[in-house]
Amino acid sequence: MKISSLGYSMKQGFKNIRRNRMFSVASVATISACIFLFGIFISILMNFEYMFQELEKNLCVTVFFDEGITEERIAQLGEEIRVREEVDSIHYTSAEEAWEQYKKDYFKGYEDAVESFGDDNPLAGSASYEIYLKDASRQTELVNFLSGLEGIRDVKYSASTASNLTDIAVMIGYISAAIIIILLAVSIFLISNTITIGVSVRREEISIMKLIGATDSFVKAPFVVEGITIGVIGSIIPLVIIYFAYEYVIQYVMNRFTLFGNTTWFLGVNDIFKVLLPVSIILGIGIGFIGSHITLRKHIKI
Amino acid sequence: MIILENVSKTYSTGVPALDGIDLRVEKGEFVFIVGNSGSGKSTLIKLLLKELEPTEGKIYVNKRFLNKITRRKLPQLRRDIGVVFQDFRLLEDRNVYDNVAFAMKVVEAPNRLIRGQVLSMLSMVGLLDKYKNFPSQMSGGEQQRVAIARALVNNPSILLCDEPTGNLDPENSWEIMKVLEEANRRGTTVVVVTHNMEIVDAMKKRTVTMNNGKIISDVKQGGGVYYED
Repeated sequence: MKISSLGYSMKQGFKNIRRNRMFSVASVATISACIFLFGIFISILMNFEYMFQELEKNLCVTVFFDEGITEERIAQLGEEIRVREEVDSIHYTSAEEAWEQYKKDYFKGYEDAVESFGDDNPLAGSASYEIYLKDASRQTELVNFLSGLEGIRDVKYSASTASNLTDIAVMIGYISAAIIIILLAVSIFLISNTITIGVSVRREEISIMKLIGATDSFVKAPFVVEGITIGVIGSIIPLVIIYFAYEYVIQYVMNRFTLFGNTTWFLGVNDIFKVLLPVSIILGIGIGFIGSHITLRKHIKI
Repeated sequence: MIILENVSKTYSTGVPALDGIDLRVEKGEFVFIVGNSGSGKSTLIKLLLKELEPTEGKIYVNKRFLNKITRRKLPQLRRDIGVVFQDFRLLEDRNVYDNVAFAMKVVEAPNRLIRGQVLSMLSMVGLLDKYKNFPSQMSGGEQQRVAIARALVNNPSILLCDEPTGNLDPENSWEIMKVLEEANRRGTTVVVVTHNMEIVDAMKKRTVTMNNGKIISDVKQGGGVYYED
């Protein structure tokens, strides 16, 4: 099809939408519902991932060494751990530093009590590596590795946090994927129905076009324009709603749940839209294109 | 220009519509195809447009072998054939100008050519002054003339007319024939399927008579009754 015919196809496509007003509105509403839910899930998932990353930053595994271990072996262990793929960073705390920190944390205001220890370090032998992970889900793997290393006395980690976070993220992912797939199917079905009606209304015109020598793509183009336009309108409406409602919802969640009473827990609407806007528009176009294409394959044969 | 070699067509119901037809129409000819209802005239038109496939035999149109033509190349074949139907088949929601221009837009003709060519065709069929009228505001004869303008606007080398005067009174029928003759005079090969023996007799053109799917006579200068209805 020639570029110069694009204007004609678009005009005819918009005309189709006006002619089948009721079905077009129904299709737009379904796609809007689909993409609205998609938007909500994406927002939740992205925020969840963000929180997850924030938590991960503080999620660390601590290893303590065998008594009498040499400085060289500690350094060697540090190197072995550092090179692992799942490890983000590693920090060494000597027994002296540990005792200093402990004093700061627990003996503030009780300096007299500290003095009673004199030069003794009650935490002697508690030198450690704090290991920060890139990916919380690989914590078990790391712990297993660390436990098998020679010279390590104890490995401390929070078993529940990592696996819980991973499980919740996976569960939300599955539920959203299932709901979105169902809604996508319904949207494609409705667009397909709308196009079928458009084709039957214009059956006579289509048969004349074919006899005159219109190409396949020229006959189909107005219906594809119709499908894609419905898809795009159907994606813009929920995007506008989400854009304006997002901050209010976040505000509500922060007020309602004290756990989240801090904006640093959430992404801003612009961060969400960097992903949501292109994905939703592509989704709308895709639904429109697929819905119209499968119908035309069935109904328009030259 | 048009060659049919031993062409047969049997519908899926088992009804034979054409039975071993041999026909040759040369460039610039004007041919009437006559015959009683069910003699296979309309099937013949549909085969030439490749709306139907022959059960047997070979069909050539403008040196194209229709039996083997691909779907992609079908539009090219049809752009070289204008078609006129008994029931005009105009688009009711468009005026005369737009109905004719539609045929050019559909074949993606350059916009700059459309206006001049449409007006020239409307002038040829004598409807230039009615270009803004809608089909419902016109007589049957006028509507058929619009349909002919639409069929000719892309300069096809062949014009196929399926009972073009079937819905018209004698006066309008003659108007249509004059237009078809003019198109033929300008070089278009014209094939007219008709029941109208008065016109066939008077026009003295080549006349092919069909009966029960067979050609029973092919006369250079038509005249007389060729079949029993």
